[in-house]
Amino acid sequence: MKIDDKKFTIMRNMLVRASSHAPAFDTVAELLATLTTGYTLSPEQEERESRYFEYPLLKASLWRWEIVWYFFLGGLAAGCYVVASIASLFGSPEDTAVVRMGYYLSLLALLPCPPLLIKDLGRPERFLHMLRVFNRKSPMSQGVWGLLSFSLFCGLTGVSQASHDGLFGRWWGAKVLAALPRKALAIPGTLFALFLGGYTGILLAATSVPLWSRSKLMGAIFISSAISTSTALLSLVLHVTGASASTLRKLGKLEWTAMLLETASIIAFLRGSGRAARVLVGTASDEHGRTFWSFMFGGGLMLPWLLQTFLLFGKRAEKRTSIIGVLVSVLTLLGGYFLRHTMVEAGRSSSRNTRTTLWNARR
Amino acid sequence: MQVESNHKKTGQLRGFPLHVLNTTLAAFQKEPSPAPQPAMGFFTDTSICIGCKACEVACKQWNQLPAIDPKWTGTSYDNTQQLSATTWRHVQFIEQVQRDVTLPPALYSLDLPLFGDQITEAKSNGVIPATPTGTALPFFTTDRWLMHSDVCKHCANAPCQEACPTGAIVRTEFDTVYVQQDICNGCGYCVVACPFGVVARDEQGDHQAHKCTLCYDRLKDDMVPACAKACPTESIQFGEVESLKARARQRVGDLQKRGVNTARLYGADKSILDGGLNSFFLLLDAPEVYNLPQNPLRPSTNVAPASIWTALAAMALGIAGIFFFKGK
Repeated sequence: MKIDDKKFTIMRNMLVRASSHAPAFDTVAELLATLTTGYTLSPEQEERESRYFEYPLLKASLWRWEIVWYFFLGGLAAGCYVVASIASLFGSPEDTAVVRMGYYLSLLALLPCPPLLIKDLGRPERFLHMLRVFNRKSPMSQGVWGLLSFSLFCGLTGVSQASHDGLFGRWWGAKVLAALPRKALAIPGTLFALFLGGYTGILLAATSVPLWSRSKLMGAIFISSAISTSTALLSLVLHVTGASASTLRKLGKLEWTAMLLETASIIAFLRGSGRAARVLVGTASDEHGRTFWSFMFGGGLMLPWLLQTFLLFGKRAEKRTSIIGVLVSVLTLLGGYFLRHTMVEAGRSSSRNTRTTLWNARR
Repeated sequence: MQVESNHKKTGQLRGFPLHVLNTTLAAFQKEPSPAPQPAMGFFTDTSICIGCKACEVACKQWNQLPAIDPKWTGTSYDNTQQLSATTWRHVQFIEQVQRDVTLPPALYSLDLPLFGDQITEAKSNGVIPATPTGTALPFFTTDRWLMHSDVCKHCANAPCQEACPTGAIVRTEFDTVYVQQDICNGCGYCVVACPFGVVARDEQGDHQAHKCTLCYDRLKDDMVPACAKACPTESIQFGEVESLKARARQRVGDLQKRGVNTARLYGADKSILDGGLNSFFLLLDAPEVYNLPQNPLRPSTNVAPASIWTALAAMALGIAGIFFFKGK
């Protein structure tokens, strides 16, 4: 057990050294970590817990940047499709800008997803083996079929919209595509889109990784983030290409609501995970709190939400609106990316943490 | 099989795309199931493990697994450290120093049925000196080494199999959990699903998931798995799960009767992962001492609650969207 003491001292020294660089920030992050998880760090208590040296109990996830980008782009594809369909079915005529841009962006965001997923495989040339079976207990198997189904609707709607807008010329094929019933396609398409936006979180929850599986809210966080990032992307593009103020305001309201739900889900997630979430919000070595609090929760969620609140409800100067609007969108998109990034990275750290893994299995 | 051998003859001429096509088509072929057999498993009795690592070596030899790069851990004689894609048996060396043991003195001298009363007599005469503290049988000393040969648990409800999206992980006719190497595409989902950190992707080799097969090839030929065959103390016992479990219960009863109060079985009842483990253990201390999770959650049980929360969030956002876009 002498080695462990040594390791622990090294860890603590590293923590102290790191804090001396940004003491105020780390103090705030640690305070937030304790407040949100409800778990007070207790090294002496943890030191007494049984374990086999510090050898990890679990094998860490092999998923890296490909999966982070898939989660991000898949969320955007799903969210844009949902927003476009809602605008198409329930919006006013001036909201057609959202419909058009939503279906285009959805298809564009979806296109890199299959290559990213295939590249991530250990044996990419065997990707079709995913279509041998439908395993109802495996969210990944469900996801493969869900993604395939969504691709069908997303592709049909996007291409039909493009033909309708004259992007493919005036030949008979374009006319056939333009005549497709987009509103009818939108209903099953939206259901598959909502599935795509949320299943990734369920996939992470159905593992043995303490951070991902302790609280069951990962899917709720991911679907909220899918809507908030996609409304942010749509606002950003529509700010540039031009859209009516009322349309932008509708998008802003939906973005504001999605961010509010995302914040609530994340806080409930942290509280529900307790000690298992420390790896995401703490500042010790192999913990990701610095990135999480600055780029995700602070800069990517609370700040844009407050700015959006100011835009929606404050007495504002019209001139500044578009600049702040663009800023809100950029920050929200960054926050959405860093949500996936820190969750995937911290998941790996969570598997490496022997003590928390053993604690998590003590039920 | 037919497709494979055809391909081997003509593969070089036809080139890469056809190779992919052939193996893909082969993966979609369905073979008839073999006749069911009684469930087979391991009973690993850690109380008689001597840490010789014969199981590790026998497993590597039979399964033609490459040796790991020797690494000096500095923690114990355990330089293997963990199960991996190329290590399917792993012997742990758990050093327990200055353990708090409060046992009645009577237990320090075991009543072994040997030589009639001669031992007791010799002890009372002083011919056999009293056992010095710290040298008694490992169960009763304050300082001891626990050895434990870890292996895939072949869970009755295997999280790796439940997670597998390709159907590569199957239950064999012996009720063991097996990764079909011609199907696995290395997605890595089983790696994070396994609550014991057993199955792993071979990042130095073929990038597919690997773990103990319970020597499926040997079982097919009515042979005992390599590790059990090599074990010199019968710490690793192989057989029909039900009879092994009965034997394990008897063994733990014997040990407890002799004062080893901490002896317990891990995975022999149905409690772990809602159905127990076909490869189970007799432990001399809490599971956590052996790096075994006390009562891990079966990952697939998270799907329903996580889906409900996701659906609620999706519904709330959908209604909000409709409300905002219908309004002005």
